[in-house]
Amino acid sequence: MKSGSPVANAKLAERKRRGGWEWLLPFSLLLPAVGLMLALYAYPFVSSIYRSLLVKGEGALTLANYAKVRELYLRDVFFSLEISILSTAIAAVLSIALAAYLRLATGQFARLIGNVYRFPIFIPFVVVAQMMRTFLAPHGLLNIFLAQVGLLNMEAPLQLLNWKGLAFGFVWKQAPFMTLIVLSGFEMVDNTYIEAARSVGAKLPQVIIRILVPMSRATISVALILAFTSTVGTFTLPYMLIGGKVPTTVTVDIAHRVTYFGDYGVANALGTLAYVMVVFTAIYYLRYTVRRGIYEYQEG
Amino acid sequence: MVTKRWIATSVAVVAILSLLAACGPTPTPEVVKEVVKETVVVEKEVEVTKVVEVEKVVEVTPGPEPEEVSMVYITAGDVNMLALGQNVLAPDFHEMYPNVTVAVVHTGPGDAGSRLIFEKLLADKEAGKDPGDVDVAMVHQKFMAWAMEEDLLLKYADELETWQYMTAGDVKNALGTDIEGYAMPMFHSQTALAYNPDEVPEPPKSYEELVEWVKENPGKFGYNGIKGGMSGVSFTVGWIYWKSGNYDKYAVTGPFDEAEVATWEEGLKEMKEFNEYVTFTAGNVGTLDALNRGEIVMGPVWVDMFYTFMLEGKMDPKMRLIVPEPGMPGQPMYFVIPKNARHPEQAKKWVEYVTSPEVQGNIIIDRYNWYPGIDGKFVEDVAPPEAFERLYKDVSPETLSKYGKSFPIVEYFDAMLEAYEKWVTGG
Repeated sequence: MKSGSPVANAKLAERKRRGGWEWLLPFSLLLPAVGLMLALYAYPFVSSIYRSLLVKGEGALTLANYAKVRELYLRDVFFSLEISILSTAIAAVLSIALAAYLRLATGQFARLIGNVYRFPIFIPFVVVAQMMRTFLAPHGLLNIFLAQVGLLNMEAPLQLLNWKGLAFGFVWKQAPFMTLIVLSGFEMVDNTYIEAARSVGAKLPQVIIRILVPMSRATISVALILAFTSTVGTFTLPYMLIGGKVPTTVTVDIAHRVTYFGDYGVANALGTLAYVMVVFTAIYYLRYTVRRGIYEYQEG
Repeated sequence: MVTKRWIATSVAVVAILSLLAACGPTPTPEVVKEVVKETVVVEKEVEVTKVVEVEKVVEVTPGPEPEEVSMVYITAGDVNMLALGQNVLAPDFHEMYPNVTVAVVHTGPGDAGSRLIFEKLLADKEAGKDPGDVDVAMVHQKFMAWAMEEDLLLKYADELETWQYMTAGDVKNALGTDIEGYAMPMFHSQTALAYNPDEVPEPPKSYEELVEWVKENPGKFGYNGIKGGMSGVSFTVGWIYWKSGNYDKYAVTGPFDEAEVATWEEGLKEMKEFNEYVTFTAGNVGTLDALNRGEIVMGPVWVDMFYTFMLEGKMDPKMRLIVPEPGMPGQPMYFVIPKNARHPEQAKKWVEYVTSPEVQGNIIIDRYNWYPGIDGKFVEDVAPPEAFERLYKDVSPETLSKYGKSFPIVEYFDAMLEAYEKWVTGG
């Protein structure tokens, strides 16, 4: 605080006038909440980044852990990113379609779908993983079913215990969750907009793409970010579905470094790369919503 | 709008932070703290009972009453180790010695679980805590090197009645550390190749034959790499033993020599080629499931898991096992008694009890399908014949002593895993 500026001077004068420690009051009210955030989230976050720069037995900060990541796990880092983007994208398309259906359709069937689609949200990833590994296995339920109806030769079953099955599992779990959020955005769109569009000849796809989606952009990006971040951080599904295959996800590599080597350095370096993956989406999202918020605030 | 923005912002922040929290460092010390808490209770109990005992002596008892003892048994390993201690061994032991109650504490699977026990014992020692909190512990092989170096353990085993039954090599040596007298194995578990005899009437008897077989039958052999569980790790370690021919140096005598690592390159590059013909499974259980469903016809498994699956009806009973030459690793888990144990005499009785032929035959073999910690021939008369027959049918005691290898010493082990990542899965 510069003492020269008139604002700062006024503040100082005000503080003097009131005297005592009263100026601390707002900070003390903030303290519990902010303190909790700092202790539970900020501290482990910073500490894991710091520890990614340490190698066991050496005092100085080093990039050795990142060099090892580059040497051994670079492909896995990209694989994690790709699989997360792919599954989030597929889940987004599906969830928008489903949410649009639930928003626009009426009747018994739509109500039934509206109740049923939520089930996967309540099923933990580990259960999804266990389901998928028997369902998608080469001699699993899906292949046997396809063979029974004559669509497939059991000698050459679909190989799904790889990135395809992984994407399938993620979409199965994330799409309903995204639908829930997207639908809440669609519900906010007033019927008059849809009716107006229809009265000038808009077809269903146009109603979705030009009315519902643009008017719910903020909600959809919340859904995208929540689904993407939790996909990047999921361990059980990739571990149980593809395990030691090559490539695998960063989370499996983290577990591997910790279990077999007790090597928290490289594990933290991998973790830091996972932060980087999600941080970009978050920055974009924050900037977008903050700008939009200020704009609307001034206008309103 | 401000509220909405605020909600949206906090949602984003929470989303990121929850990921961070999930990736944060494991709270290792907390578990240790729990152990300490538990033992505080134990301390109190002991003090209270002492008071009672004094009164008794004064008022009635002419002869000495057996002292009430609360013993702490801490175990690493999977939850089945906790269940075994809590539901089977501790109650049975209490029946034999009604004055001794055993509290079972569980740390966690794998070397990480043993590491916690080591850290607890070391902390006790460094704090000068004598007597300490732990009376007897169940640990993996790696633990022995750590604990022997810090001089944490009591030499107790050769005083026991059951010491005479101990014949295996890993009673004397654990991953290069001399441990004779400091540890008693409760069981041995072994890896082997499981196969479907209908599809493979003549299984390959060595790694060399296996490589040829795999090339003729692409996709029919499956394993789980090195990130999906120890059966794949074990297969890989066996591969390096085979290619290098240096088992003794890596697993028995040591010492670690960095120059050895470079000599694995060629063998591991051959493994990379081998992997082209292989189906990768998802974990130890993944291999068993794939074998049972007929997706693969051969793959490395833990013998105890294999038979337990069979008993539970999750594995076709026709499946067989073979340990290929020059061998695959297995590992024991050991009983150790800390130097500062509160009740060393009772702890010895506990170890003696679990290593007795009766417990080894009826519980270790029959119920858990482990190979006994003691020499198999002393268990033969005690174990239910069908259990004994099941366990030794494919992997005879002779095979086991010839081809049942140890895992390499710690430094080589780490180097092998990383070499695999570099030359087999990397690049």
